[in-house]
Amino acid sequence: MHKEEVFDIVKRCIREVLPELQDHTFEYGDRLVDLGADSVDRAEIVNKTMETLSLHIPRVELSGVKNIGELTDALYAKL
Amino acid sequence: MVVVGIEAMNVFGGSAYLDVMQLAQHRQLDPARFENLLMKEKAVALPYEDPVTFGVNAAKPLVDALSEAEKNRIEMLITCTESGIDFGKSISTYIHHYLGLNRNCRLFELKQACYSGTAGLQMAVNFILSQVSPGAKALVIASDISRFIAAEGGDVLSEDWSYAEPSGGAGAVAMLISENPHVFQIDAGANGYYGYEVMDTCRPIPDSEAGDADLSLMSYLDCCEQAFLEYQKRVKGVDYKDTFQYLAFHTPFGGMVKGAHRTMMRRLTQSKPNEIEADYLQRVKPGLAYCQRVGNIMGATLYLSLAGTIDQGTFDAPKRIGCFSYGSGCCSEFYSGVVMPQSQEHLRRFEIERNLNDRYQLSMDEYESLLKGSGAVRFGTRNAKLDFQLIPGVIASGKGRQRLYLEEIYEFHRKYRWES
Repeated sequence: MHKEEVFDIVKRCIREVLPELQDHTFEYGDRLVDLGADSVDRAEIVNKTMETLSLHIPRVELSGVKNIGELTDALYAKL
Repeated sequence: MVVVGIEAMNVFGGSAYLDVMQLAQHRQLDPARFENLLMKEKAVALPYEDPVTFGVNAAKPLVDALSEAEKNRIEMLITCTESGIDFGKSISTYIHHYLGLNRNCRLFELKQACYSGTAGLQMAVNFILSQVSPGAKALVIASDISRFIAAEGGDVLSEDWSYAEPSGGAGAVAMLISENPHVFQIDAGANGYYGYEVMDTCRPIPDSEAGDADLSLMSYLDCCEQAFLEYQKRVKGVDYKDTFQYLAFHTPFGGMVKGAHRTMMRRLTQSKPNEIEADYLQRVKPGLAYCQRVGNIMGATLYLSLAGTIDQGTFDAPKRIGCFSYGSGCCSEFYSGVVMPQSQEHLRRFEIERNLNDRYQLSMDEYESLLKGSGAVRFGTRNAKLDFQLIPGVIASGKGRQRLYLEEIYEFHRKYRWES
């Protein structure tokens, strides 16, 4: 899987949790908190992304990322 | 093997509380985001209240309901807290004194963030099960007070920590553990525990706390799953959806529990969103009732949720409650127990809800003056006299009930006074 596909999954999961972002153009540097995601939303986005990718790793290994680009990198590295 | 569990339990949810919606407006927090916290009120500790007064005020009605002979069988008093007032002397010594318990009793304190109450409960359960002193009882008191003002400086550990203010509470839960589990019979040996080193939330300096909200939430979710999977491995024929008629969670704030339940249901039962919502209302929501009115009381929070579940649930037949405990740092556990139809009546003797209703409501001005440290006693205070009239009306709100308050600190020794 290419990194761009992982990013597409991240974007799709963000839109599922935050439907108001349907028309938002996502950039690697976007921060979930700036997009209006609270801590529970952020965890939900990570959960959904991991489930879609069938990733079984501790979630704590994905914390500490600063934006959705870094989240994509972290997920991609675990594939 | 003897049966074991909670013979009696009581909650003390503070003398005063703040309406958290008012706080949200005052802090100009986004109301929609705020709603998702699922919090209504939070208990606020007054300067003349500490983990000792909270603990005693939770345990006193429970001890008073015992005969002299029963009371003398309390052979272990475990206090569970992350709000200790001394590195050496445990708060159990003060609590033992003010409850007037038998001196042939083990006194000590346990710490492991919000897991402490479960550590204490399980230790007491094992003491009873071991039958080294048949007929003995253990008193477990989890008592904690928030110090939500974030530690200043640094990058990671203070960012987005402001959410802790509306949810950080103060309170205590007292539980008498014995061979007569009138309130909650423990499923002995049915435990899944899971822990590892992680720096999610902590209290590295006196009178303050620090944390990384995202890391803590991730760790909570990892533990929720891993502790349950371990429970499932050890107990035959367990199903997340059908084995437990209710679920009680450690509740930092209601929204977090709702999210954790949703994640667990999706992963373990492949339920659809509408089924998950119905299951949440049925099995989880009763446990939020008191948590939403007291706030996060750390080591005692799971037991606040358990008390809410038993008080507010429907028990026309014996029902099993699954309990999940998580303490930052971290250690976690999933275990279970059974509630009988008469258990509810047993718990309701202590009128937990009425006591919450009778608390004094703080105005924003009163709350702000307390926040600025008005009358506060810091960790390590050598001498102080406390002013019970700091906010007139607080002590009067407890009228008719015996309540303990901190009157004075003399050469580090705390002196307390009963008011009624």
